[in-house]
Amino acid sequence: MIYDCVIIGGGLAGLTCGIKCAKEGLHTVIISGGMNSLHFSSGSIDLAGYTEKGAIVKKPFEYIKDLIKSNKEHPYTKIGLSSIKKSIDFFIDELASDNIPLNNNGEYNHFRVTPLGAVKPTYLSQESVYSSKGKEIIKSKGKIAILNFKGFRDYYAEQTAANIKNHPIFQDIEITVGSISLPYYHKTEKNLHEFRSIDISRIFETEKYLPRIAEEIKRAAGDAVAISLPAFIGIKNYKSIRQKLEAMTGKFIYEIPTLPPSILGLRIDHALKDRFFSYGGEYIAGEKIVSGKINKNEVESISTLNEGRLSEIKSKYYVLATGSFFSGGLQSRLEGISETIFDLATNGTNPRNKWYSKNFFDKKSHPFLNFGVVTDKNLNAKTKEGKAIKNLLCAGAIIGGYNPIKEGCGGGVAIASAYKCAELIAKDLKK
Amino acid sequence: MNRMETDVIVIGGGATGAGTIRDLALRGVKTILIEKNDIASGATGRNHGLLHSGARYAVKDPESAQECIRENQILRKIAWHCIEDTGGLFVTLPEDDPAYHSLLLDGCKHAGIPAKEISIKKALQLEPNLNPHILSAITVPDGTIDPFRLTSANMLDAIERGAKVLTHTKVVSVIKKGTEIIGVLCRNIHGEEIEIYAKMVVNAAGVWGQEICNLAGIDLPMFPSKGSMLIIDYRINGVVINRCRPPADGDIIVPGDTVSLIGTTSKEIPYDKIDEYTIDDDEIDVLLSDGEKMIPNVRFTRALRAYCGVRPLVAVSGEKQGRNISRGIVLIDHKERDGIDGLVTISGGKLMTYRLMAEKTADLVCSKIGVKAKCKTDKIPLPGSEHKFTSRRTMKKFSGIPDSVVGSTFYRHGQRLRNILTTDKKNYRLICECEMVTEGEIEYAIKKLNVHDLVDLRRRTRIGMGPCQGELCAYRGSGLFHEYGGASPEGSVELLNDFLEERWKGIKPVLWGDGLRESEFTYWIYEGLFGMSNLKNNKKGLKQ
Amino acid sequence: MIKLENISFDHCIKCTVCTMYCPVAQATHLFPGPKQSGPDAERLRIKNPELVDSSLKYCTNCKRCEIACPSNVKIAEIIQKAKWNYVKIHWFRPRDFFMSRTDLVGSITTIVSTITNFVVNLKITRAFMHIFLKIPFTRQFPPYAKGTFKKLYEKKISKTQRPFEKRVAFFHGCYINYNNHSLGQDLIRVMNAMGYGVDIVKEKCCGVPLIANGYIEKAKKNAKFNIAHLSKTETPIVSTSSSCSYALLHEYKEFLEMDNSGYISRLDYITKFIYDEFSRGNIPKMKPLGIRAAYHSPCHLERMGGVMYTLGVLKKIPGLELVILNSECCGIAGTYGFKNENYEISQAIGSALFKLIDNANPEFVITDCETCTMQIEMNTKYKVLHPVTLIAMALKE
Repeated sequence: MIYDCVIIGGGLAGLTCGIKCAKEGLHTVIISGGMNSLHFSSGSIDLAGYTEKGAIVKKPFEYIKDLIKSNKEHPYTKIGLSSIKKSIDFFIDELASDNIPLNNNGEYNHFRVTPLGAVKPTYLSQESVYSSKGKEIIKSKGKIAILNFKGFRDYYAEQTAANIKNHPIFQDIEITVGSISLPYYHKTEKNLHEFRSIDISRIFETEKYLPRIAEEIKRAAGDAVAISLPAFIGIKNYKSIRQKLEAMTGKFIYEIPTLPPSILGLRIDHALKDRFFSYGGEYIAGEKIVSGKINKNEVESISTLNEGRLSEIKSKYYVLATGSFFSGGLQSRLEGISETIFDLATNGTNPRNKWYSKNFFDKKSHPFLNFGVVTDKNLNAKTKEGKAIKNLLCAGAIIGGYNPIKEGCGGGVAIASAYKCAELIAKDLKK
Repeated sequence: MNRMETDVIVIGGGATGAGTIRDLALRGVKTILIEKNDIASGATGRNHGLLHSGARYAVKDPESAQECIRENQILRKIAWHCIEDTGGLFVTLPEDDPAYHSLLLDGCKHAGIPAKEISIKKALQLEPNLNPHILSAITVPDGTIDPFRLTSANMLDAIERGAKVLTHTKVVSVIKKGTEIIGVLCRNIHGEEIEIYAKMVVNAAGVWGQEICNLAGIDLPMFPSKGSMLIIDYRINGVVINRCRPPADGDIIVPGDTVSLIGTTSKEIPYDKIDEYTIDDDEIDVLLSDGEKMIPNVRFTRALRAYCGVRPLVAVSGEKQGRNISRGIVLIDHKERDGIDGLVTISGGKLMTYRLMAEKTADLVCSKIGVKAKCKTDKIPLPGSEHKFTSRRTMKKFSGIPDSVVGSTFYRHGQRLRNILTTDKKNYRLICECEMVTEGEIEYAIKKLNVHDLVDLRRRTRIGMGPCQGELCAYRGSGLFHEYGGASPEGSVELLNDFLEERWKGIKPVLWGDGLRESEFTYWIYEGLFGMSNLKNNKKGLKQ
Repeated sequence: MIKLENISFDHCIKCTVCTMYCPVAQATHLFPGPKQSGPDAERLRIKNPELVDSSLKYCTNCKRCEIACPSNVKIAEIIQKAKWNYVKIHWFRPRDFFMSRTDLVGSITTIVSTITNFVVNLKITRAFMHIFLKIPFTRQFPPYAKGTFKKLYEKKISKTQRPFEKRVAFFHGCYINYNNHSLGQDLIRVMNAMGYGVDIVKEKCCGVPLIANGYIEKAKKNAKFNIAHLSKTETPIVSTSSSCSYALLHEYKEFLEMDNSGYISRLDYITKFIYDEFSRGNIPKMKPLGIRAAYHSPCHLERMGGVMYTLGVLKKIPGLELVILNSECCGIAGTYGFKNENYEISQAIGSALFKLIDNANPEFVITDCETCTMQIEMNTKYKVLHPVTLIAMALKE
């Protein structure tokens, strides 16, 4: 059996590419070696948050337009502005059809509040993070209560409250801190269970505790018009849970991410998988692609390794969406940086003491975050000999030449590059 | 300005300083200890934590060897909860001079160290990960010792007997009356100045002792020698592995708590670089390639971090090379040497002989202030080591709490675990999942063990010392600091920032492989998700 | 001390994804989750083997943690190994002893199957078992067949297999041998329709229940026997049990540390074998089934990467409308759900799956695993079929 498109990697990029390919009617399979980094993400999509010098970007598309002119190697330049715009619209549509509406602020970035009380620019957010109603509350200087659950160690409301008070947006707003107790919690205490956000989100999902939680919220929030909770009000039916809680409490509910797992990101992951399946995509979990055969600048096949046996998988097109070091797309050894499946050309440089900066939170961030596979102008991966591989395209964090965190563009590059790959493949195969 | 009075001031919160105030406290002398940083933050906490049998010195320095084996036996009795009786091996590799093997056996015999040759087969049974190509093996009574725990226990005992400990307090000048030193002026972390008067001042500031002497107008040159070490993710060995050759770089692997350490490189550094603690790539390469020769697994295991310490070697006879200067104890009565009364300096020596150094210092001090009481530190056990229990028996006593929690807490605090493992539910709540540190233990440390920040907390509890290097527990710990430690919420975020920066210092020299993946993940969380460096934007004032 | 090949825990970067996807941690807070019990605790256990927590026993070894792990940590394997160290301390456990000796119990009970099936379902027997053997009162037992499949094969089937030139060896496993002869017969029909004659070789229980209950030496004995006999064959070898296949392919080598290279390249779980044959064009004639069925993927098949082959095969059956259920664990985990202390957890784990099945409202449920079959049949109103049985149903007479 020969697939139209095999996508290696099931993260934000792999899933987006898979959805687009499957929707175009291509026989598509995603092979995923372990869960993706959406599980630890903010659930908001950053398009372009910061300039080269670290200043906050107000209008991301305008900024990207300038970036394309000045930086020839940036993935955004290779994708092009029109594909970037299309990809974002596509992404919004797909998630909306899985009941996860994403909001934006027109051509502007908006802000999301972090657990430490920092305020970060981003472009797309879930309703509980950015909405016109939330904007109004801030504008009207309504009182806000920042709440946490007693005994929950992966979030501290006090830190959020103290630090956002220093921000001009929140300066004149009355902010209180409160804690609520969880009906189910006492059962979980006498053992070593880690008690993470995921456990609490499951309690919310059962819905039977909602009235009691609502009472607790009302008690702790007093006369605040809006409250924030650590992000765990359900995964699958979060929208209806949030609506119910808002109705029960009469208060606007905002969500702030916690230590991983991040429920905000998990929602996106679940929704994307649902979309992919709905278009008939095939998904293989827990399989690691260990090698690939390249002949005459074309991938012949890729292989999985199970019980010491290689099984070949063949396809017309391959999309490399294996992520960076964390997800195993790149590997760093004492000797240097390499790509793990095809041993492609990377922009990783030696010696290793040039991979990092002096401070952890250095202004310059860290060079290793820029490392990735070298691609040509159509996102085709290049071999070490500098030849572009015709049927191997790259999407997401495996692409070199940009710093997803420092530039605040990780989500945007993943979605736009994935969409671009799918577009190119569909165009070629439909010829 | 605050003014305090006491009998003896001890400068330096390492093992020697802590041992000295404990020794003096047991003799009924009042003391105040001043430490510019945290306890065991200098050379005490920056070595490989070997409970020497003395065999490493047996050939070249018989005197040190004898001191070691004597102290080894004493510490096993008075500080068993800081010690693990792992045993040690000296192994000869094919490239080593086989003659050293018998030299070592002779040296040990002479120094009274019970060393025994064993078959290679037996050595491999004892330590299955050992290089199977070794030529010979000798067992010695080496062990491991936790310097933080040891220092902390000494201080705890002294404090319980009336001593005072001021950490994060720096001596800015000495108060002199003619040629006599009668006290010191110091400044604490809040910028407050404190005058302390005493009959005697003990300079136990290690390599920084040169500066203390300078304050008193005394010239005492130190020859700082930097030793670098590498920490490996888990215990790749259960027994201390030494290389059977004259002491050199990369010749020892010590299992310490949940990790193993490869030591040590030795490099002379200029005095003005003693606070930099930088480790070069070539030092790492030496440690890895030499470590691998003894235990081949080293190459396949994640390196957690690298760190270095600066040995406080005083050049007594003019020698200048790090390893050749005697590590013997140097006790200087500055009245005799420099004509300045009221000050003694204790330096040289090693962690192993901290108690002996403290005893000698206290003897000298007592003779000067007219106290007749004799040293008792070799008999009276440290807090936590009062009665010897096995962990199995202890675990049974705390049934209902998971064995791994009881065992780990017991390992860290000995019998003091009674103060920690109460029935409160927070004892079950894990904060550091790598090292099994519970909320209860953190509360105890913050409230009882003189902790000012997350770095201090790490020294008392091992929070953030596992494979993830604080990836999750740092944030949790910062919140608990707000809750139990009186830090303001903003202050607790700063503590978090400082802690992660401190961890980064040790991580970056070994940033490859899984360590780099871990750091990428940590960076995503704290910079991407949490926006740590965005916080400064808050205050700058943005206009939307 | 730890051997070089068992250090996958070193790759864990504490992302906690495994605990999110652990069905046991979802169902009960008594289990601290795979990260804590596996890679985290392993470092402590290496330091001091006494630091073993009794909560390890809650792990069902479903391996979903390993599928979720982005760092290639063999989490379930680490936990299983630690579990034996824990179990070693304990005394003779009659229930676990008998429960894990499927072939001993099977060979006795099949002789007197009618009586066994009757007695085992008497209330008084169940009460006895509940109290003394700690086997849950409400747990249904699979009925035992009359005689063994092996006997049946020798007496009746073997001669019908002679005409075929192409041969395949069949590792039938205990379930077919003692409980479900008809699945074995279905396999033979399907293989025959594809032009293969079926041989059976000498075999003992694959060892999965022994491993799960900590009888490692006995498991090794069985493995040695099976390796010797399977290695003697020269034909492809198939198994219809996903768990047996997993043991033969994976656990013997990785877990029991035995050399199974003599047969490993020839052995496949049945749907992989059929898938490959189908891909080569060897598709038997099938009539449209006109059935709507829901497919549940067993944990061990997922871990083996075998689900894509089962789905590939099922998709080739004409007239089979397939509802692919979201991947969830059924909760039984072999002998796990047959124990009092685990019963509630086991049921809680499975509840999500049972709900999914009810919502799908199919005519049948399809799954590859025998214990999943028992669990689903006990907890839902649906009959559960093996993929091979479906092909057999579709075969033209």
